[in-house]
This record gives sequence, C-alpha cells and structure tokens, in this order.
Amino acid sequence: MNKRSKRYRQIQLKNAAILFFPAVICIGAVVIFPLFYSLVLSFTDTNLRARGMGTFIGLENYITALTDEYFLKSIVTTLQYTVVSVIAELCVGYMIAGLLNKVKKGREFFFSIIIIPMMISCVAVGMIWRLLLHPELGIVNYLIELLGGTGRAWYGDAKYALGTLIFIDVWQETPYMTLLILAGLVSLPKDPYEAARIEGANVFQTFQKITLPLMKPTLIVATLLRAIGALKTYDLVYVITKGGPGTSTEVMTYNIYKQAYQYLNTGRAAAMSYILLAIILVISIFFVRIGQEKQE
Amino acid sequence: MLKAKTKSQIDSIFVYIALIIVALFFMLPILWVVRTSLVTKQVAYQIPPDWNAPVTLDNYFTIFRDNHFGGYFLNSLVVSLFSTGISIFLGSMAAFWLARQKKWKTGLRVSILSVQMLPAIVLVVPLFNVMTNIGLKNTYPGLIVTYLSFNLPYVIWMLISFIEAVPEELSDAAEIDGCSKPQTFLHVVFPIIAPGVVAAGVLSFLNSWNEFMFALVLTGNETRTIPVAIAAMETQQGVQIAELCASVVVVIVPVAILSMFVRKYLVQGLSFGSIK
Repeated sequence: MNKRSKRYRQIQLKNAAILFFPAVICIGAVVIFPLFYSLVLSFTDTNLRARGMGTFIGLENYITALTDEYFLKSIVTTLQYTVVSVIAELCVGYMIAGLLNKVKKGREFFFSIIIIPMMISCVAVGMIWRLLLHPELGIVNYLIELLGGTGRAWYGDAKYALGTLIFIDVWQETPYMTLLILAGLVSLPKDPYEAARIEGANVFQTFQKITLPLMKPTLIVATLLRAIGALKTYDLVYVITKGGPGTSTEVMTYNIYKQAYQYLNTGRAAAMSYILLAIILVISIFFVRIGQEKQE
Repeated sequence: MLKAKTKSQIDSIFVYIALIIVALFFMLPILWVVRTSLVTKQVAYQIPPDWNAPVTLDNYFTIFRDNHFGGYFLNSLVVSLFSTGISIFLGSMAAFWLARQKKWKTGLRVSILSVQMLPAIVLVVPLFNVMTNIGLKNTYPGLIVTYLSFNLPYVIWMLISFIEAVPEELSDAAEIDGCSKPQTFLHVVFPIIAPGVVAAGVLSFLNSWNEFMFALVLTGNETRTIPVAIAAMETQQGVQIAELCASVVVVIVPVAILSMFVRKYLVQGLSFGSIK
C-alpha cells in the first residue's frame, strides 16, 4: 500500500511537472517576480539616472507620494473619472440591454454593431474622437454650430477635458455593460413575472421587486469589472490629453508613468503603483462583500 | 384583441427606432473615420465637409510606403501571434491540470483571476528595468514574453470552464485504457474543447493586438506595434488627418472581422466566466 501510494504520488508530481509547471514558471517570471522586484524597488531610491539599485530608504517613497499634491490630485481625478463613467455606463448599458431584450428580429444585427467600440484598441478610439472633436477641423463642432450652438475646445479646455474623456470612455465601454447585462436579462426566469402580472403589479413594482434582486449579482460583477478597468485607464488619457490641460486629466496611471519615465524616479513610481494596487484591492473587496451580503 | 396587437406593434416600432439611434451613436464616429481615410488629404481638412468627394486609396498607399506601416503591422502580428500561441500551448495544459485538481482548488483559481486585475503600470516599471538589464528591450522576445503576463492567465482562466464541461468519465476511461494524463489531454480532451481554444486564442490575440502601455515602454523604432505607431504619428508630423484615419482603419479592421467569430463566447470571455 505504502509503495503504491508513493508511486501514485510520483505520477501525480510528474503530471504536474509536465502540465502545470511550465505555465507557472512563465507566470512566475513575468508576473510574480516583477511584482516582488517592484515591491523591493519601492523601498529604495532607485532611479534611471544612475545604474543599478538605489539604497534602501524605508517608507520614504510612500510618504513622499502620499504628501505629493499632484499625486493626491491624480487619485481624486481617477476616482471622479471612475465613479462618473461607471455609473453612466451602468445606466446607459442597462437601457440598451433592455431594448435589445425586447426585440427578437434583428437582435444579433444590432448587437454586432453595438459591440464594435469595446473591441477596438483604446488608441484607435482616442484618435477617432480626437479627430471628431478637433476644435477647427472636427465634424462635431461643425455640426453643433450648424444647429446654432457654440463649438468648444473639448479636450483643450481644462473645464471640459475630464468630461470629454469620460464621454469617450462611456462611448467605448457602455457596450461592455450592455453585453453583460443582456446576458443576465435573457437568463431571467419567466415565472415571477407571470405571477406579478396576475397580481397586477405595475412596471416599476415589477422592476424593483423582481428584476433588480434577480439582476443584482450580474450588476455587481459588471460594475466591479468596469470599475477596475476605469481605475487602470491610461491609453485614452495618453492619446487625447497627455494629462492636460495643466493636470486636469492626469489620472493615477499617467502620473505614475510620468514619475517613472519623465522624472526617472523608478523607486518612487513603484511605490505609487503599489498604492494604486491597494486602491483596486480595497474596491474589489468592497464589491465582493456587497455581493455576498445580498445573496443571503 | 386587435387593439392590443396594434399597441404592441407601435411599441416595437419605438423600440426599433431607439435601437437604430443607439446603433448610429456607436457606428457613425467609426464610419466618419473610414470616410475620411478614403478621401484626398485636402478634402480631409475641409470643414464644412465635401460630401461628394471622390474615393481614393492614396492614404493607405502613403502610410504603407512612407510611414513604414507594413513593418508596424508585421510587428503587431508577430508579437500577438507568438504570445497567443505560447499562451494556448502552456495555458491549455495548465487549465486541464487545474480543472482536475481537487486540492487548493479555490486558492489557485482566485490567484489566476487576480493576475487579470493587475494594472499594467505595476508591471511596466519592474519589467522595463529587467528587460533593459537582460537586453530584451526593443526585441520581439521581450514583448512576447511580457504579453504572457496577461495572455497566459487569461487563457487558463477561460479554458478551465470549457474543460470542466467535458465529462470526467471520458478522460477516466482513457486513463484506464492506458493513456497517461498528458496523452489523455492531447487525444481526448483537447479535440472536444477545440472551439473554446479558438475563442480563447482569438480573444487573447485581440488583447495583444490592442495593447498599448507595454509596447510604448518596451519597443523602439524596429519593434514598434501599430497602436504605438498611431499614437506617435501626430507628434511627428502635426495633424495629418487623412493618413491618421487610414492607420486607425488598419488597426480596427482585423479586430472587427475577428470579433464576429467569437461573438458567441464574448460574455464568457469578457466577464471571466462570472456571468454565464
């Protein structure tokens, strides 16, 4: 018996070695090791002006980051961006999913048109809107003026730049919300609605008492995934505003990128990226908690 | 009865009108860029637009001839294909092992999933230093390996659910007949999950094709991918609207075509299996 179980364990180990370890080694090399390395960097004054690792300086990078006015402002900007765009995407995405759920004929057709923005590269999306919203050469200002309004420097004016970025995010990512919410809506059970109809419940009552509770898990997951996506936003900002005008659209990722490749302070950038990671972690835990509460 | 029918017909007309407006909202910006890519440079600058301008492919010739777009296209293709290929090869085996693993089941899966949630900037800073030190900056292998950081966990995560749908009796039977676990995977399980593998492959190809931040930091003139090239176009030469539009179309077209094939798998692929 002992011999057999030993042999069994050997086979198990061999299987793991062939099937699982190669992938683990790869993930270890490109994810786990860099994460660990970055953590070490975050406690040093490493920078790209000098060769090799800097000296150990304890928590100084974290303290400097958290007392840096611009970094703190970028945290606020990121949160504003995330909250507004995710709420807008949730509402608009739900409405579109509701419309699609109402039709049988042509659903596939509309669906395949609507999902295109979320599939294409953020850089392409940024360029598309940069051209459309160009103050003099863009079609949007032309159309607005044709209708009697005034065109604006949508991404060149600090008053509108963040709003413009949020609008573009909504254009690109609402389809994602629609996709997930529609998947939830089609799989809703029919019976509760039948019962509600017999009881004479109106549209709002049905929505509040039946649809919303049943859709809650889907909505929480969709919101969490989008929120993480929005917190990581970088490409759009880089392409459209480069954080400007001033620092009005400087989100955390862009601020960290600048710290690393403009000011060349890699150690400090590493510490800042860990702060971003902590924020994402806290928000994820928050959503998972809400998800669990509601299921009980 | 008749009245009720007319009312629901009117309702559905409104629904269709709303859907058409929604579709136009998402489509028109892209169509405008396609249109601008097909007119001459002078017409592209004109506001109010010239609605009857003749169609020309000049801008596409220009970007491929003068802006090395052929090279960038090839760079994007090589990096995306290799990274996806390696991810599928290693990831499908790992997914098979994980799907049949009883011990530490949840822990292993959650850690695979959480890698998905990492912001690129957290890995960019250390990977830039590592790649510079080992001389892989501005090379294909450097970027291919870097892209494994998101492609590999993605493929593993997606394929686990496909493999779980394969009845365990099937692979047990093969093992009783004398197949080893790797053989069972290759000859029994892999053919069954082939559609899932294709879907995961296409989606991970698209992830790599669209990736920007790693490519921005880790590539140079010779290895630049299309997104980086597009982002750099404007700063180099001022706003060249027509060429810019043509290059945007070049990066979009493969995506639009490929995403049609994986439409069925999008929900699973993009919600990480949390919504079925």
